[in-house]
Amino acid sequence: GAVSASGDAAHRWAMVVDVRKCVGCQACTVACIMENDVPENSFRTIVSTYEVTEQGKAGSYMLPRLCNHCEDPPCIPVCPTGATYQRRDGIVVVDNSVCVGCAYCVQACPYDARFINHETQTADKCTFCVHRVEAGLLPACVETCVGGARIFGDLKDPDSTVSKLVREQNPKVLKPEMGTQPRVFYIGLDPKMQGKVDGTPTLWRPAPHADKEHA
Amino acid sequence: MDTHIVEVINVTREVAWLPWAVQYFFLIGLSVGGLLLSLPGYAFARDGWRPLGRLALIVALTCGLAAPVALLSDLHQPGRFWHFYVVFRPTSWMWWGSLFIPFYIAGLLVYGWACLREELQAHGRVDSRLAGLYRLAALGGGRDDRLIRAAGLFVLAGAALVALYTGVEVAVVKARPLWHTPFLPVQFLTTALAGALGLVLILNRVVGTADRGVEVLGNRLLAAVLAAVMLCGGLWLALSLSGLDAGHAAALDSVAGSEAWRVTAVWAVAATVVPFVIAVARPAGTGLLTGLIAVHSAWMFRWTVFIGGQSVPKTGAGFYEYALPAGPDGLMGIVGTAGLWLFLLILMTALLPVSSTPAAGRPANASGHPGGRLTAAE
Amino acid sequence: GGFSETGRKLVKGAWAGERPDDTISGNAPKPEFRIDPATGAVEPTPGQIVANVACLGCTTLCGVRVRVDVERNRVLRVAGNPYSPLSTDPFLPYATPIEESFRSLSRLDEKGLQGRSTACGRGNAALEMLTSPFRITTPMKRVGPRGSGRWEPIAFDKLVEEIAEGGDLFGEGPVEGLRTLRDLKTPIEHASPELGPKVNQVALLASVNDGREPFVRRFFNQALGTINFAGHGAYCGGAYRSGSGAAFGDLKAMPHAKPDLQNAEFVLFIGTAPSNAGNPFKRQAMLVAKGRTDGVLNYVVVDPVLTNADNRAAGERSNWIPIRPGTDGALVMGMMRWMFENDRIDSRYLSQPNAKAATSAGEAGWCNATHLVIRQKGHPRDGRMLRASDMGWVELDEKERYGEKDAFVVLDPAGKPVAHDVLDGPAVLFHDGAVVTPAGDVSVKTSLTLLREEAMRLELRGYADACGIPADIIAGLAREFTSHGKKAVANAHGGMMAGNGFYNAFGVVTLNTLIGNLNWKGGSIFGGGRFPDEQDGPRYKLASFPGAVKPSGTAISRPVPYEKSSEFARNNAAGKPYPAKAPWYPAAPQLTTEYLTSGLADGYPYRLKALFLWNSNPVYGIPGLRAAAEAALKDPKTLPLIVSIDPFINESSAFADYIVPDTVLYETWGWASPWGGVPTKTSTARWPVVEPRTQALPDGLHVQMETFLIALAKRLGLPGFGADAIADMDGKLHPLDRPEDWYLRGGANIAWLGKQPVADADDRDIALSGVGRVMPVLQATLKPEEWRKVAYILVRGGRYQNQAEGFEGDKAVHKFLKPLQVYNEAVGTAKSSITGRRWTGTATWMEPVFADGSPVHKHHTAEDWPFQLVSSKSMLVSAYTIAAGRLRHLHPDNPVGINAEDARRLGIETGDRIRIATPGGMQDATAIVRHGVMRGVLAVEHGFGHREYGARPHLIGGHSQPSVPEIGAGINLNDLGIADPSRAGASVWVDPIAGTAVRQGIPAKLERLAASA
Ligand SMILES: Nc1nc2c(c(=O)[nH]1)N[C@H]1C(S)=C(S)[C@@H](COP(=O)(O)OP(=O)(O)OC[C@H]3O[C@@H](n4cnc5c(=O)[nH]c(N)nc54)[C@H](O)[C@@H]3O)O[C@H]1N2
Ligand SMILES: Nc1nc2c(c(=O)[nH]1)N[C@H]1C(S)=C(S)[C@@H](COP(=O)(O)OP(=O)(O)OC[C@H]3O[C@@H](n4cnc5c(=O)[nH]c(N)nc54)[C@H](O)[C@@H]3O)O[C@H]1N2
Ligand code: SF4
Ligand code: SF4
Ligand code: SF4
Ligand code: SF4
Ligand code: SF4
Ligand SMILES: [Mo]
Repeated sequence: GAVSASGDAAHRWAMVVDVRKCVGCQACTVACIMENDVPENSFRTIVSTYEVTEQGKAGSYMLPRLCNHCEDPPCIPVCPTGATYQRRDGIVVVDNSVCVGCAYCVQACPYDARFINHETQTADKCTFCVHRVEAGLLPACVETCVGGARIFGDLKDPDSTVSKLVREQNPKVLKPEMGTQPRVFYIGLDPKMQGKVDGTPTLWRPAPHADKEHA
Repeated sequence: MDTHIVEVINVTREVAWLPWAVQYFFLIGLSVGGLLLSLPGYAFARDGWRPLGRLALIVALTCGLAAPVALLSDLHQPGRFWHFYVVFRPTSWMWWGSLFIPFYIAGLLVYGWACLREELQAHGRVDSRLAGLYRLAALGGGRDDRLIRAAGLFVLAGAALVALYTGVEVAVVKARPLWHTPFLPVQFLTTALAGALGLVLILNRVVGTADRGVEVLGNRLLAAVLAAVMLCGGLWLALSLSGLDAGHAAALDSVAGSEAWRVTAVWAVAATVVPFVIAVARPAGTGLLTGLIAVHSAWMFRWTVFIGGQSVPKTGAGFYEYALPAGPDGLMGIVGTAGLWLFLLILMTALLPVSSTPAAGRPANASGHPGGRLTAAE
Repeated sequence: GGFSETGRKLVKGAWAGERPDDTISGNAPKPEFRIDPATGAVEPTPGQIVANVACLGCTTLCGVRVRVDVERNRVLRVAGNPYSPLSTDPFLPYATPIEESFRSLSRLDEKGLQGRSTACGRGNAALEMLTSPFRITTPMKRVGPRGSGRWEPIAFDKLVEEIAEGGDLFGEGPVEGLRTLRDLKTPIEHASPELGPKVNQVALLASVNDGREPFVRRFFNQALGTINFAGHGAYCGGAYRSGSGAAFGDLKAMPHAKPDLQNAEFVLFIGTAPSNAGNPFKRQAMLVAKGRTDGVLNYVVVDPVLTNADNRAAGERSNWIPIRPGTDGALVMGMMRWMFENDRIDSRYLSQPNAKAATSAGEAGWCNATHLVIRQKGHPRDGRMLRASDMGWVELDEKERYGEKDAFVVLDPAGKPVAHDVLDGPAVLFHDGAVVTPAGDVSVKTSLTLLREEAMRLELRGYADACGIPADIIAGLAREFTSHGKKAVANAHGGMMAGNGFYNAFGVVTLNTLIGNLNWKGGSIFGGGRFPDEQDGPRYKLASFPGAVKPSGTAISRPVPYEKSSEFARNNAAGKPYPAKAPWYPAAPQLTTEYLTSGLADGYPYRLKALFLWNSNPVYGIPGLRAAAEAALKDPKTLPLIVSIDPFINESSAFADYIVPDTVLYETWGWASPWGGVPTKTSTARWPVVEPRTQALPDGLHVQMETFLIALAKRLGLPGFGADAIADMDGKLHPLDRPEDWYLRGGANIAWLGKQPVADADDRDIALSGVGRVMPVLQATLKPEEWRKVAYILVRGGRYQNQAEGFEGDKAVHKFLKPLQVYNEAVGTAKSSITGRRWTGTATWMEPVFADGSPVHKHHTAEDWPFQLVSSKSMLVSAYTIAAGRLRHLHPDNPVGINAEDARRLGIETGDRIRIATPGGMQDATAIVRHGVMRGVLAVEHGFGHREYGARPHLIGGHSQPSVPEIGAGINLNDLGIADPSRAGASVWVDPIAGTAVRQGIPAKLERLAASA
C-alpha cells in the first residue's frame, strides 16, 4: 500500500557489528529500551554474552543481536495484514495500527528478533530507530555503543563506513543458510555462534507480565 | 572437539502463539476429521456408516464452531480481525486461512443442517413447545440425499482447504526446523482423524447409544489411522536420522539432546502404539479407552508442535522454559475453549437428542437412552 | 472465564492494547533535534533540552548528555558528552560550539561514528533513580527501634533543631546534639590527649568524591572540627592504592597511575577487569576495545574469574589467565625473579639516582633503586635509608635530620658513597656491603638489592605452586612484559582486596618501576588531574575562612604509629608494649573498616556519639561488617545518633535515626573529576538540569545535603557558612546560603585556572545547552565578568584540557616527578601494632594473613574450607542501581560461578541451588557452572543480595513502599565475610598493613541443595 512507499530508495540502511570491539556493556540494550519505550522484560536488541571454552582455554564472547533488516525477510510474506513491510530504504517496520497481533511474523523470523509487545498487543522489533535516522541522527544503540562495535550507515553510499567494511572485511551474517540476506553484518563472528548456539542456556526467565498488562 | 559454551547473559522469548493456538488447531483438526468421517454415512448415504457418521457430525459441528473462537482469541488484537479481509496478501497462508475458515464453517453449517434436517423434521412432528421452531429449522423438508451430497462435496472442498492451510501455514515456517517439514500437514491430518475417531468413540459411550457397531468400526478405523501416523513419524525420523535432508537433521538435532523431549517422544510413541494394539486386538468394549488415548495424543501432538516448538530458541542455547500461565494466555484459554466446546455439545445433544437414526414419527425424546438425557441435563 | 480477555479486547475495538504515539515508532519521543543531512542545519525540538552533565551510575562520574522533557521535568535518555574524555575518544576541542557538538554525534558525514560519545548500560538506566518509587523525598525520623523500617516524615526545621540540640529524641533517653558535641577543647580522654577533643566523637562516612566532598569537608572538618571523615577507599580498592602509595612514596594520598591504553602495546591487568569494571569504567572499555581491534594493544587479564574484560573475537590480543585468589604477590615476584635472572630490568632507568640524571639520560622519571638502605641487625637505624648526615657530610639540627634536606646516599660508578643528588649520571644498582661512616662501618644494600633478594626467595616453581600459574607462563608473562620497552604496563585494583593485598599491589606497581614506564606515552601515566574548584583562588577563597578549625587528634581508624600513643607508653611502661588493643595503621589513610567494628562496637580508641553517613553504604559494602556491627548499630546506647544523607534507604541507613533525602544525579551541583587514566586535565560539571524531586523549602530551595548542612551550620553558628562566609580575592565577602553560592564560585575558580580563563558563553550555546535554566541564579550569584565564563563551562559540562595537550612527544605532559620507591623506608620501618614486628620495605610475596601475621589457613584449614570466595563487579549494575528495573530485568540476579571440575565432583549443575558457608555466615545461592572460574574458587558477582533499596518495603508515615522482592535477588558476598580470629573484639578481616577489607579469598565450603526449579 501507500505506507510501504515510505523511505528514500536512495539509501539502504545497514549495520556492521564488530564483535571484537564489543565489551558486553549492554549500553545498546538499555539505550534501545529508553529510546523506544520498549516494554519491561522485552528487548529489541540484546548482547548475548557467552563463555566459550575450547581445548581447555576459556574466553568471553559477546554477540549483539537485533533485527537484521533482511533483504529477503521471511517475516514479511507471512504477514496476513500487510502490517509488516519493508521501506524503500530497506528498513523493515511494523505498522502497529494495522497489525492484528497474530504473531505469524514472530514465528517466521529466524533470528528471534520479533516479539509481541504486551502494551500495544502488536508485533514489535527494532526499527533501526527510523525516527532518529530520518532526523539525521544515529540509532540510539549505535550512538551510545561504548566499544564502538555498532556501525550504522548507508550501503548505497560506496564511501560510507559500512560499505567499506562490507567490501574490505568480508563480514559474516547470522544463519546465512536461511537465505534472508541480513543487512546486519558481523566482523569476528565465530561460526559456532552463527546459528543456534549449542551450549548451556541462560538462567534468565521472563517475569510474569500477563496479570499486570491485562489488568 | 572439546568445546563448551555457557550463555552468561541472554534473555528468552515468550511463546507468541499461545495455548489458544493449540486449541484452535486441535479443534479445527477434529472438526475436519469428524467431517470426513461423517461423509460416508451422510454424503454417500452408506447407512452402515450412519451411526458413526452422526457422532462424527456432532464432532465436526461442535469443534468447528468452537475453533474460530479460539483462533480469534489467539490474535492479540481480536478487534482487528477484519483487517484480514481488506487486504490481498496471497503470500501469507494465514491470510488464505482467513478465507478458508468462513468458507469451511459456512459449508459445514449447511451440510450439518442438510444432514440433520430429517431429525429436525421428526422433532417438529412431536407435540412440544419447541415443535414450531424445529419445523422452522427444517424449512418444511426432510432428508434430501442430493442436497446432503452437494453440501458434502462443498464442505469437503472447504475441509481440504482448511487441512491444507493449517498444515502448510506451519510447515512453511523455515525458521523453525521442527515445523518446516512436508510431513507436518500429513501428520496434522492423520492425527486429526485419529483424534476425531477418538472423540467419536468417547461420544458413542457418553452421549450416544454405546453402539457396539460404532465402537468396532471406530476402533478399526482408528487402528488404520494410527498406522498411518506411525508411518509418518517413522519416515520423519528416518529422514532426520539419515541426514539426507539438512533441515530434518537440524530439527532432530535441536531436540535430541533434551531429556524432556525424549520423554515426550516416548510418550507419543506409547500413545500411538498402545491404542493401536488395543484397537487391533480388542476392537469391542475398548472404545472409551482407545478414544481417550487418541484424543489425548492428538492434543499432545499439537501442544508439542506449538508450545514445544516455540520453546526451541532460534539462536540461543538450550531451550526456553515454558510455564503455563494461569491467566487467559494459558490455562484459562485451554479451559475456556474446552468449556465452549462442551457447551456446544450440550446444546446440540439437548436440541437433537441422540437416537440412532430417528425414524419418522418416533418421538425423539422417547428414545429411551438415558445417556443422552443425562448429558443434556448436566 | 477464558474468553473474558478476548471479549474485553473486542470491546476495545481497534486498540486492544495501549495506543502508542506513532504507528511505526511507537512511543519513542521526538528526537532531541534534527540535523539536515545535506546542510547540517540544526533544528532543536521544542520542549526538550539537551544538557551536558555528569552521570553517577557508578564512581566513574562520566560526562554525559541528558535529554530532558522540560514540561514533564523528566529525563528521557542519556548519551555521552562529546567534550568529555570519559565518554568520547577523540573528544571535541574545548572551543567547539554546542551546535557543532550536536553535529558531531549525528549521521552528518558520519561524524557520529568517529566522534561517538556514550553512556554505558548503567548510565543509560540510571535516570530511573530520579523517579524511583523507593526514593526518599522528605526528611524522616525513625519510629520504633532502629532498623525496624518504620518512619515518620519530619519538618526540615525540626530535623535541624533535633540534630543540633539533641534531647530525648526517641523517648529512649537523652541524645547529645551537635551543639554539645562540638567541644573543641575538652579532650575525649585526659589520659590520652593525643586522641583529640570531644568533637572527634562525631564522624562522617562518605563514599567517592562525587564533586561535592569539599563542601561536606568544609562542614565536618573545618566548621564543626572533627577529624573523623573517611571515604570508601578501605573497601573500594584501598589495598591497591596503599600498595601503589608505597611505590609512589606517599602512604596517605596514595597516588596511583593508570596504563595509557591509547598507546600501550602490552598491558597486564592483575586483579582489575577493564570493560567489566575498572575505573574509569567507560573510558577504559572504549580504549581497550579500540586498542585490541584497530590499535596496537595486547593484554592479559590475570583473574580467578573470566569476565567481560576478555573478548575471544579479538583472538590473541586478549587473554585470560586464572590465578588462585590472594596470590598475586607470588606471580609478580616470580616475574621479577625471571626479570632479574634474565637481565630484563630497565637498568638505565633504575640506576639514575636523581631527577637531573634521569632527565639527561632521557628518562621521564626516576626511583630510589640505587639508594642505600641500612641493613644491620641491632643498628638503631636498621631499615632506614642511609643519609648524608649519617655520613657526616652535612650538619642538620634534629628536626631537619632525615628530612628533605638530608640527601640519600648512593655509590658512584667507582663504588664511592656520594649524596644521591650530586651525580649527573647513573649510580651503582646492586650493592651489598659496608660503607664507612663516622660512626663506624655500616652494612648497607641498595634498594634494588633488597628487592632482588625478596624476588629470589623462592624458585619460579615455588611461586608457580603458590599462585597456580605454571612456571613457564610466569616466565612468558615476564618476557612479554619486558619486550615492549616503556610501552608495557601492569595495573591492578579490586583484585588486590585480599589478606595480603598491600604487598600484592606493591609488587604489581613495582613491575612498572622495573621497566621505568612511568610518565611515558604507552606506559603508566599519572593523569592530568583536574581544575580544582575548592582552593583559594583565583577568584574566591574556598579553602580557607576565618574561624576554620584545623582538626586534631587521632582518627578512629588509628592511621598513625601506635608507638606514639599514650596506650603504647602505658603498655611499654608495663613491660608489654605489644599487642595494642586493636591494630593501628600508620601506613594507611582513614579506614572505614575500623569505624563500625573497633570504633563503634568496642569504642576503641574512643566512643562515637554521632555518625553521619553520606552517599555511602558500608554495611552492604564491607565483607563481614553486618555480622560484626549490626547489634551495635541497632543499639542507641552504643551509638546515640545516626544520620544518613542519601536519596535511598540502603543497608546502612536502614539503621539511621534520621534520613535526610539528597538530590540525585542530574539534580545536583558539583565539580567531579576522574580517578585517573585521563592524560589531560578534566573537571566534570554537575548542575541541576531538572527540578529536584526532594521536598521544596519555603525559600524555593530543596531539601538536600547542602541545604541541610547550611541550615545546621547556621543554627549552630558555625563559621564558614551563612552571611560573609566566602571571600573573593579582593577580600570582599559573600554569603554561603545556597548551594549555588559555593558551586558557582567554585566554577569561577575553575574558569580562571589554566593558562588563561575560559571564553564567554554566547547566547546560542546557552540556549541550545539548556543552561538557560540556571541563568538567573548564575547572574544573581556571580560577578558580571564571571557568569558567562561559568556558563561556558556548564554549557560544555565541564572544563576539559584539549586532547592534544596530553603528551609532548613520547612523554606525558602531566608527570609524577617524585622518586618511585623500590624500597619504602616508611613501610620497612613500620611495625605491626599487634606483633611489634617490622614489615618488609619492598614488594614481597606474603600469604594472606590475619592481624597477628598468622596465615589464614592456620585458622581455617583447606580441609574444612576447600573453596575460596572472590568477588567481581557486576558488568552491569553498581551496588545502588539495583532498583533500576531496566537493568535488573536484563540481568536479574547473580548466580555463583563454580568451576566445571569442582561442580562435576559435587554433582552440581547450572541452575542448581547451593549452600555456601564461611566462618562468617551462610547463604543459599544458584550455581552457574563455568570453565571461566579458577578451580577451588566461588565467583560472586557484586551488586546483588540487597536487603534494602526496595527489597523490603518500609513504612513511611503509615504508608508502605511498594513491594518489589526481586530487588533482593541473588547474594551479597559481604554477608559471607569473616572476622579476624586473631583479634579480640569486633572486627572484619582486613589487610594487616593497608587495613583494607578483604573480599578476595574468603575460605568457604559448599553443598548442593536442590536441582534447578
Ligand atoms: N560495571 C561496574 N563498573 C564499575 C563499578 C561497578 O559497580 N560496576 N564500580 C567502580 C568502582 S567503585 C571501582 S573501585 C572499579 C573497580 O574495578 P576493578 O578493580 O576492575 O573491579 P573489581 O571487580 O573490584 O576487581 C577486579 C577483578 O579482580 C578479580 N579478583 C578477585 N580476587 C582476585 C585475586 O586474588 N587476584 C586477582 N588477580 N584478581 C582477583 C575479580 O574477579 C575481578 O574481576 O570499578 C568501577 N567500575
Ligand atoms: N563484595 C564486594 N564488596 C564490595 C565491592 C565488590 O566488588 N565486592 N566493591 C567495593 C567498592 S569498589 C566500593 S567503591 C564500595 C562502594 O560502597 P559505598 O561507597 O559504600 O557506595 P555504594 O554501595 O555504591 O552506595 C552509595 C550510596 O550512595 C547513594 N547515592 C547515590 N547517589 C547519591 C547522591 O547523589 N547523593 C547521596 N547523598 N547519595 C547518593 C546510594 O543511594 C547509595 O546508598 O563497595 C565495595 N564493596
Ligand atoms: S503479528 Fe502483526 S505484523 Fe506480524 S504477521 Fe501478524 S499482523 Fe503481521
Ligand atoms: S531479522 Fe527477522 S524480523 Fe528482522 S527483517 Fe529479518 S526476518 Fe524480519
Ligand atoms: S536501531 Fe534502534 S530500535 Fe534497533 S536495536 Fe538499535 S536502538 Fe533498538
Ligand atoms: S553498547 Fe556496544 S560495546 Fe556495549 S554491549 Fe552494546 S554493542 Fe557491545
Ligand atoms: S561508567 Fe559509570 S558514570 Fe560512566 S556512564 Fe557508566 S554508569 Fe555512568
Ligand atoms: Mo570502588
